[in-house]
Amino acid sequence: MADHRFRPVSGEKPCCDISKKAQICLCVVFGLLVVVIIAVVVGIVMSRPPPQHQEWKGAGTTAHFYEIILGRCYTYTQIVRPELGHKDCQKIGKAFTNAFLSKDPCSSTEQDYQPLMELTNQTVPCDKTLLWSKTNELVHEYAWVQQELFTLENTLLGYMADGLRWCGDPGSPEMNYQSCPDRRTDCSNNSVSVFWNAVSKRFAEDACGVVHVLLNGSVHNTFDERSTFARVEVFNLHPEKVHTLQAWVMQDIRNISSDSCSDASIKNLKLILSKRNITFTCENNYRPIRFLQCVKYPEHSSCRSKI
Amino acid sequence: MAALGRASSLLSLLPLLLVPAAGAGGARWRGEGTSPHLRSIFLGRCAEYSSLLSPELRDKNCTAIWEAFKVVLDKDPCSVFPLDYDLFISLSRHSIPRDKSLFWENNHLLVTSYAENARRFMPLCDVLYGRIGDFLSWCRQENASGLDYQSCPTSEDCENNPVDSYWKMASMQYSRDSTGVIHVMLNGSEPKGAYPVKGFFADFEIPYLQKDKITRIEIWVMHEIGRPKVESCGEGSVKILEERLEKMGFQYRCINDHLPVKLLMCVDHSTHPDCALNSAVTSTRREAPPLCAEHGASLFIPFLVVLASVIQL
Repeated sequence: MADHRFRPVSGEKPCCDISKKAQICLCVVFGLLVVVIIAVVVGIVMSRPPPQHQEWKGAGTTAHFYEIILGRCYTYTQIVRPELGHKDCQKIGKAFTNAFLSKDPCSSTEQDYQPLMELTNQTVPCDKTLLWSKTNELVHEYAWVQQELFTLENTLLGYMADGLRWCGDPGSPEMNYQSCPDRRTDCSNNSVSVFWNAVSKRFAEDACGVVHVLLNGSVHNTFDERSTFARVEVFNLHPEKVHTLQAWVMQDIRNISSDSCSDASIKNLKLILSKRNITFTCENNYRPIRFLQCVKYPEHSSCRSKI
Repeated sequence: MAALGRASSLLSLLPLLLVPAAGAGGARWRGEGTSPHLRSIFLGRCAEYSSLLSPELRDKNCTAIWEAFKVVLDKDPCSVFPLDYDLFISLSRHSIPRDKSLFWENNHLLVTSYAENARRFMPLCDVLYGRIGDFLSWCRQENASGLDYQSCPTSEDCENNPVDSYWKMASMQYSRDSTGVIHVMLNGSEPKGAYPVKGFFADFEIPYLQKDKITRIEIWVMHEIGRPKVESCGEGSVKILEERLEKMGFQYRCINDHLPVKLLMCVDHSTHPDCALNSAVTSTRREAPPLCAEHGASLFIPFLVVLASVIQL
């Protein structure tokens, strides 16, 4: 507080006709008043309830999200695919959370995930890409058992994110553990959906040689034009790298009906691919995977007869 | 459970070097060094197991579990005893669903495939304290504080090493907590015998089975596709196991090439003659001894088997 008593004043009379002591008192009181006002303002600001996360219709961020992705990153790069041991999991973890923290979870873009994708770049050998649609459990059992083919969830980034949910909030640096946008009822450009679209696109773009896809012959729309496989993966296969897409159409072992490869939706897939100059082949109830289905129903007749 | 943890059976696979006391490339010990980023992998696996796989485990405090575990990282790598993991185990243990225990020897990958991530069965590697340590390695340096990332002792180096003591403790606990029907998967194509008479199952699991909580023991002797059938039920080391269980008063049953597991093995060998489904089915039925196998009446069994096949035809 500038004490204008000490400022050299030439020839000017002091402002008011009060004693030095009174002036000091006034300054002190004024100073105290300012301090009190500041304290009150700060108190009001601090005691305001923390900004509430937005409320969405989907489940919130997976508990311990960061520890899980970090642990998975290390498990993958040190144990599952040690040839990726040079990857920096701390950087990767940070890039992942930076993609969605403090951002509107309904305005997620592929650009948000670019730094993360660059850090987790990985080459899948030719002829080893395995796509899937409506066969989540079966395809991953198969990938685990035979260990040569890669589904997206067998790549570093897919492995890290598999089964998890995440979202942030523009008003907060924290993850929203209470709820996250549901694709259908809240918004489609949510953090999780945009992620999977982005990584699926890259996975398809990077594929070469023969690409396999495991489809479900026991559902209504075996080749579903709304699926990620149809919307993203099929359209991002590069014809100059991928010459054939081979489909394995598996039917529920308890209910084997007609030839799924002749299904109308499969014919549609064939047409789409031929327009893109990619050969399409189809096999019903591919034997190795039929064995996998038989593990659950070993006494079933199709598990007894020679195929 | 870890490929590294089952030291006694895997050591024979490690290349034995010229200098008996040293490991590969001048390293102090024979085993793999501490896994890099051990703490992060540990915490990540603990968090994942707790929150994704078993909702009822949400109360597990992974930080406390890590703190309990890491005391061994300060100890001399040849002076770590199973009981050093006592607190770690008591914080991480949880119940195992009845009839879901699956013990095994020499078929880690097959067991994890068949267990289906704890959906079908819950082998030790699908229990929290088994999942955390699976495929990991850890030890302090011999003469200094700080972890040894070059090598860690195996049982050939010294008995009381961190990794073996961990799996001994984990195995004992797993056994104690197993109830109902107990399953054991053995490898009948293993040249040294399907049932290692000295091994984790023999020394740290069987002795801790709780007889009053177990209904019976089911042994599956699996033979690798296209490999010789070294032993089957009632033969060699399998017979030793059967006799031991009988002496202990357990009801047991032994099955060769248990069909669901055989079908799983066929995924990778779908065109092999052994996987022509007809023959897979009939061979299992022919060889499966009836439930009264525990009485060891050697003449009675073939008669019953023949009778059973005749009835089933």
